[in-house]
Amino acid sequence: MDVRYLNPVIAATDSVFQTMLAVKPEKQNVSVGTELVTNKEVNVIIGMIGDIKGSIVFSFSREMALAVVEAMSGMEMQKIDKFVTSAMGELGNIISGKATTGLAELDLSCDIAPPQIVTGKEINISSEAEKILMVTFKTKFGDFDVSFSIK
Amino acid sequence: MIWRDEYKIGVDLVDEQHKELFNRLGDFIQTVRSAEKVAAKKAEIDRTLAFLGDYVVTHFNAEEALQKKYNYPDFENHHEVHEQFKSEIAEFKKEFEASGYDEDLLMEFSGYLLTWLINHVAATDQKIGDYINSLNEEDTK
Repeated sequence: MDVRYLNPVIAATDSVFQTMLAVKPEKQNVSVGTELVTNKEVNVIIGMIGDIKGSIVFSFSREMALAVVEAMSGMEMQKIDKFVTSAMGELGNIISGKATTGLAELDLSCDIAPPQIVTGKEINISSEAEKILMVTFKTKFGDFDVSFSIK
Repeated sequence: MIWRDEYKIGVDLVDEQHKELFNRLGDFIQTVRSAEKVAAKKAEIDRTLAFLGDYVVTHFNAEEALQKKYNYPDFENHHEVHEQFKSEIAEFKKEFEASGYDEDLLMEFSGYLLTWLINHVAATDQKIGDYINSLNEEDTK
């Protein structure tokens, strides 16, 4: 798997956070693994089919998910409820949609599936992926991970 | 909902309508998230959702008329996005009633609306503003 496939995903994440939330996410380390285990509680999984088969997973801490939805709605959010997970799911959907446009520029034609949400502690997302590329971003709302797993 | 000046596209009518949409969606979300049980606030949910839905139509029509006036090249796609959104609202109303006013369904749909509207205004609609501005720049050359 080619690391440059990750670039459109990083660019889309950056652009959507800037236009929607006026926040520039700072890219931290990139790591490569074979398993996706996260202690972040709000996970948005976007399945991908086409020239790339796999998924993009956005993992947000509880605090970050609440802070992002508070920033969008202007209302206080106290718990991870369906409103919060659905708002974050759509955010993942928008970023992934934009990422497919970037992948198309690399001559990769891909479609995405509607977001699936997994919440809880110590989550292991099985993906049958050969390789998982993970990048961590830092924002004023907290840190989050974007993992791109390709079968 | 939080309105930011960066969301402006530079066409007053559209910017004012976007602000009004933010207000109306904000009212709907407030109702959805108030502490009362769904059964007790059913009428208010219906009212604020209808209020939002009506304005969505008014606004989409105005925005599409503007696009046509300037021969906006992405009109067809944008129109399709609007049509799909309108049918999603209609679809939700049906599903929500059929579910016996299920709270999870309501919370899920309103969370989706929140993110969708911000992205549509902050990203998708910006392209209309950029296009119209580029025409105006051509004119002054």
